[in-house]
Amino acid sequence: MTNQTKSQFIAVASITSELSAVMVVAKEISLAAANAKAIAFRAGDKAKGFQPITDFINELAKETIELVTNINIYALVLYRLTVDEFQKTAAYNKFELAAKMAEGAVYAKSMQEPVDHARLSMQDCQRQFKRDVSQLLGQLEAVMHHARAARVIAANSRIEASQAGEYLQSLQAVAESVDKAAHTIHDNVQRCRIALSIYRNS
Amino acid sequence: MKTTKIYEGSHQWIMFGRDEGKPNNVIDTNQYVVRTANRCLLLDPGGAELFAPMMAAVLHHAPVDQITDLFASHQDPDVISSLGLWDQALTNAKLHAPAIWEGFLRHYSCESIEYVPIPDNGGTIKLDSVELQIIPAHYLHSSGNFHVYDPQAKILMTGDVGGAIEGPDAPVFVDNFAAHVEKMRYWHQRWMPSNQAKRVWIERVRNLDIDILAPQHGRMFKGDDVKRFLDWFDALQVGIAV
Repeated sequence: MTNQTKSQFIAVASITSELSAVMVVAKEISLAAANAKAIAFRAGDKAKGFQPITDFINELAKETIELVTNINIYALVLYRLTVDEFQKTAAYNKFELAAKMAEGAVYAKSMQEPVDHARLSMQDCQRQFKRDVSQLLGQLEAVMHHARAARVIAANSRIEASQAGEYLQSLQAVAESVDKAAHTIHDNVQRCRIALSIYRNS
Repeated sequence: MKTTKIYEGSHQWIMFGRDEGKPNNVIDTNQYVVRTANRCLLLDPGGAELFAPMMAAVLHHAPVDQITDLFASHQDPDVISSLGLWDQALTNAKLHAPAIWEGFLRHYSCESIEYVPIPDNGGTIKLDSVELQIIPAHYLHSSGNFHVYDPQAKILMTGDVGGAIEGPDAPVFVDNFAAHVEKMRYWHQRWMPSNQAKRVWIERVRNLDIDILAPQHGRMFKGDDVKRFLDWFDALQVGIAV
């Protein structure tokens, strides 16, 4: 296995790992939203501005979970494609070697068709991999967008929390937790994008 | 890869082995080819490491599109881990292999090649006008194991039975049976698990008219050495690791 193939396997496998962490954090945001909703309900008018924000946080968490679930399915497809490409490349190399070793054999020319076919299959796989990587990068960008939105919400939450009197601390804690979660999602997804981006145009 | 024609009649048997290019830590194997007018059968075609030299050697005898049949005596990697590569190279081929190993062998990838499961009681492989018999050899050493007998060429291909670990320059036929015994004693005692299976197999193959006994490792036996081998194996206690 070449270093390029090893890196490709690692890159694809690391997406699943990074995204499972994103999933945990997205679920934490969802929990924070539920907690914030309860506090805002108790705070009544003092947290009036906070109430629509909690719904928004919850919606954002749900969408993130849905996106990550889809990306995970896609990452599995990408992993299978990586295995396929590895097998097709190995076959092509072996076929070329066989053709070379068969030079001078009566039926050496009959090896040309399998060699050509293996090369085309391998190239198809490589093209498909690049297409799928581009698509996956697009989906990861959508998650990043959600993470950025979550940070904006966290900033707004802090402002709203400052007007919530005795509920200030509780609501600020919610805002902090959303902000922290958004940071984690951003960092993990960014690592996925860096790992994959070299394969988009390689 | 050393090539030895062992039968030439209405069809041919060719033995391939002693591959000089094989990695040192990979066991040496013998591959056999039965070539008829329009078809070619590879018996125990070998491991993935061996694919390129094996294919190159076969191309001296048949074009790729006439490699129509593969036979795997059992599921071991030195027998058939090249399957995934043959599967991509051959467009119209069948793999004759033990039925009980189908789900296992498909791990090597078998998508374009048709898997023809051999039932426990054996069967036949027909190549043009040649009919080969598939002889059950279960537990020798694999639980689902077959050998191939050609009544016309009087050759019995015996998989691991008769095997020995040899150096790369060893002759392809046993030339001194007494001296060869020590090279195959431990092989049979340790790899063959069942005295009962051994007795049943010997009884079965004693009824066959055999000129050449062709194992997947080591040297082939011909003439009187075939009977010497069966007598020696009959007397040997196997399954010694328990």
